[in-house]
Amino acid sequence: MKVKFCILPLLALVMMAFALIPQAQAEENGPAPTITLDKTTLDNGGEITVSGQVPAGAQVYVEVFAADKTVRANRFDGKKDPKTGKIPYKFYLTHEMPAYYKIFIPKDMQPELDKAKAAGKGWKYSEVLKKTGANAAYSAPTKIKIDKYQATIMASIIGSRGDLLEAMDEKATKSESMKLVKGRFRSVGNLLAAAVEIKPDGAYAAKMKLRSGLAPGKYNVVVTAVTERTMEGDKETVKKVKSEVASFENKQTFPTVYLSNAGTSINLLWPFILTLAISIFGVLMGAGGGFILNPILVSIFPALPHTIVAGTVMPTVLFSQGSGIYNYSKIKFINWKLGVGIGCAMLVGGFIGPKLTEMITLDQFKFAFGWILLVLAGLMYWQTTPGYLEKNKKEQSILKEFKKRAEEAAKAKGN
Amino acid sequence: MKVDFWGHEFEVNMWLGCLGGFLIAIMSSMFGFGGGPFMVPLMTVALGLPMYIVVGSSLLAIFFNTAMGTMRHMQFGNFDLLLFLSMFPAALLGGYFGPQIAKRLSPLVVKRVACVGLILLGLKLLDLY
Repeated sequence: MKVKFCILPLLALVMMAFALIPQAQAEENGPAPTITLDKTTLDNGGEITVSGQVPAGAQVYVEVFAADKTVRANRFDGKKDPKTGKIPYKFYLTHEMPAYYKIFIPKDMQPELDKAKAAGKGWKYSEVLKKTGANAAYSAPTKIKIDKYQATIMASIIGSRGDLLEAMDEKATKSESMKLVKGRFRSVGNLLAAAVEIKPDGAYAAKMKLRSGLAPGKYNVVVTAVTERTMEGDKETVKKVKSEVASFENKQTFPTVYLSNAGTSINLLWPFILTLAISIFGVLMGAGGGFILNPILVSIFPALPHTIVAGTVMPTVLFSQGSGIYNYSKIKFINWKLGVGIGCAMLVGGFIGPKLTEMITLDQFKFAFGWILLVLAGLMYWQTTPGYLEKNKKEQSILKEFKKRAEEAAKAKGN
Repeated sequence: MKVDFWGHEFEVNMWLGCLGGFLIAIMSSMFGFGGGPFMVPLMTVALGLPMYIVVGSSLLAIFFNTAMGTMRHMQFGNFDLLLFLSMFPAALLGGYFGPQIAKRLSPLVVKRVACVGLILLGLKLLDLY
């Protein structure tokens, strides 16, 4: 009996101690930062200030991300592994990337960002995160689901993504997510900004600028305060506390609309005016507008992914091509055997091409398109040389003559 | 292959035509343009066909590519309906007004302007200026 009585209070004591331990740990890292936003809504971007209090002497990082809008991000790993000398041919794909993601870091870290900017397109997101300590705040993209495919040349040719591989572990997902984030948002300025001012007593404030044309909807803000960093050999231990989530709403009004597939907002009047001007010019020079429309769209709307541009411009010409074919077929001006014969080969090409768009980066897209345009310029020039003009004159008159005859024949049949 | 067109018979090298068409189709569906300006020289110069057979037949061949490319792009989720709806009416209007303006301009001048414009745009994409 006596023994039992002894155990009960002991048990209670142990339980109390367990309950106390997590609290004690939080206490050790300091109290959670407070967080206040000066606005609850933004009108298609603007400035919003986050402020609050962290333990004195802590470094403050502010993570901001779109909470309800996600976009697709993908990366094709076709670079030779320097260790094994093999090309991995891995394709990474996620549909859960936040449509906006940015970490605001302390103001005095600006030089690190300048260094990264100077490195140009080859800057390493993970390295900058480490150097500025912002990896302590990097959290939202680590929770996304990333599919990993084993691509093969054969699978690419038939247009499949390859075999879906096993899901990656937490660490691999985190490191791949950084690559996808960088691939999606590309520039240093899109992903990081040195904007947090911290007073010696731990009061902090950050003016955050959101550009226009971002996804509308709810944005979450989380403040991470790093109170202590210790290095043990290569391993860094970071003591940090996170604030509660604060949110604001980004609003938009027509004609600015959010393109869910592209993950960006755009004033719809612009593509309309551009397409009108370019398609008229396309008719004049005798080449479809797609040649000019695509590069201009990816140049002036850097937030618009090239895959979306290519995939959306293509169907716009489908209708005019169809009506052209109908008009020519009415006057029997199409050789079906020839058109369908070459068309079958083009069908196969059209099956493969869109897959390749997915596998290249925007820079590769621009590079290849640049050369295509130079070749096209060469073709255009060739069409203005005297030899070509002379030949063309004859051909055009024959063309007119045949067309006339064909039209008459069609009419005669009709009557 | 022999092709009959309005009473004339032409000998066409279909191997060359299909290979060229295949490559042009990959390129044009990859970058999202029609491919006409490449198909016409292929058929007139490489296949030696006269212009009057090429205009209609090349359009038919390209249509196959555009239709397939469109389907595949949609399958991969690369199609944005709103963007399409803002561009499509503009493309139709352009197709309507274009030929009327074309009548009043010298094609030679237009092509030279286009040539300069394409070089500038190409160099811009290559980041050369």
